[in-house]
Amino acid sequence: MIEMIKVSRTYEPNITALSDISLSIETGEMFFLIGRSGAGKTTLLKLICNMEVPTKGLIEVAGYNINQLKGKDLAHLRQKIGVAYQDFKLLSDRTVAENIAIAMEVSYKKPRAIKQRVRDLLDQLLLADKHNTITSELSRGEQQRVALARAVANSPRLILVDEPTGNLDASTTRQVMELLNRSKMAGATIVIATHDASIYQQSKHRVMELRSGTMHSLTRGDL
Amino acid sequence: MNFWFAVLRQTGRNLRQTWTSQFMTFLTVSLSVLIFAFFYLIYTNMLGTGERLSDDLRLIVYLEEEPGTEMKEQLRRKIKNFDDVEEIIFVSKSEAYERFVAQLGDDSDVLADMPENFLPASIEVVPLKSLRGYRQIKLFSEYLASLPGTEKVQYGQEWMERFHYFTRLLTIVVLLSGALLILTATFMVAYTIRLTIMGRKDELELLKLVGATNSYIRTPFLLEGILQGFMGSVIGLSALYCLFQWISLRFTGPGILNLFQFNFFSFRVILIIILGSISLCSLGSYSSIRKFLRI
Repeated sequence: MIEMIKVSRTYEPNITALSDISLSIETGEMFFLIGRSGAGKTTLLKLICNMEVPTKGLIEVAGYNINQLKGKDLAHLRQKIGVAYQDFKLLSDRTVAENIAIAMEVSYKKPRAIKQRVRDLLDQLLLADKHNTITSELSRGEQQRVALARAVANSPRLILVDEPTGNLDASTTRQVMELLNRSKMAGATIVIATHDASIYQQSKHRVMELRSGTMHSLTRGDL
Repeated sequence: MNFWFAVLRQTGRNLRQTWTSQFMTFLTVSLSVLIFAFFYLIYTNMLGTGERLSDDLRLIVYLEEEPGTEMKEQLRRKIKNFDDVEEIIFVSKSEAYERFVAQLGDDSDVLADMPENFLPASIEVVPLKSLRGYRQIKLFSEYLASLPGTEKVQYGQEWMERFHYFTRLLTIVVLLSGALLILTATFMVAYTIRLTIMGRKDELELLKLVGATNSYIRTPFLLEGILQGFMGSVIGLSALYCLFQWISLRFTGPGILNLFQFNFFSFRVILIIILGSISLCSLGSYSSIRKFLRI
């Protein structure tokens, strides 16, 4: 699903965020990115969804060189990638339902199907009572779950999640991971950047540790 | 959900979110269309009146003395040398007297003591319809005045001159109000769309990230421009029509306005004004999209 070959990202004037990262992530795999703050996890996710462009190297998603895609092709690929951003990127003047629906509206899903999917997701994330609440009135934990719901709403083939459990208690973390596991079971590839060791330590998924923009280790969670 | 449903819903959202600036732009466009259309209506009606009046145009060349048969032929040739004319009528002194008597009617006895040849002989020249411009008539009259045996040429110079300058002034006013319409329609709409884009920067960024196509993001803004142009022109023209009806009703009966026959725009002109307004507003919208909505 994702191929990265010798990918580097440098910011002006001379700050290296990522250096020579080579990585393959299979379709349907759940993959964890770990490392301290500033290690390059968020940058790596941004490169995969084309929010940023690598300074060097090749990134292929679903067989496409994502940095060469433009216009409609890029838009269509992005519809197949769901991203839960660290800063959530929620529309603060819209309701929870409207925020989640936006991802499905751009791919012209039927209003009834959108409504149903939004309700299902809110039920799964224990947010059913927040359907019509304006997102600026939610707690950070709730906002985080809304961002995650939006990321998985359109049943994307690739889900990128940045710190999905940072503001959550143990029980809600479990709900979030269940939701991501269900998406994985449905065939989605999932890349999770996290500090939270509890969500990857007991799993059998691959874990890549980044240190100062370079790959420090690539292991399985249970090893 | 199809493309147009999604785009129309998005346009509705935009209009709701920025309704105050949208309303101000709509008012400005309406007012600009009203001002332009008002002057253009006066202009077209003045031109129509000018044409109608020029249908009765004839130049009267007063002669020093009654021309003989040969001189009449010479004068006819000389007149036609300048340009072909519709009609040349020689009026002798006695014919002029008879006409005058007929005009005076019951008061003709005031001429009782006057000799029958006290009025000068004249030639009435009716120029061709193609020779009805103010400058052409002026040139023609100067030519006629230069003919031998001519005393004076009359054709309502002063009135024609005033009418000519008035229509020229109106042309300038129409052009200026047209420029005002262009400026307000394009710049106001461009500015409003720019404000909307700025106000929804986060949402547009998000739409891009979740895979919205360029047309999904841009079309609502273009529709806003089209809507502003359409609504602005329809309201502007409707207001002008009401004004026109009011003036027509208010000033019916004897008066100066009855000299002129006022008509409202034809359907074709109305359509052109509406399409023009839509095009200008779309242009304003498009320029903002190009400048501030780079996807």
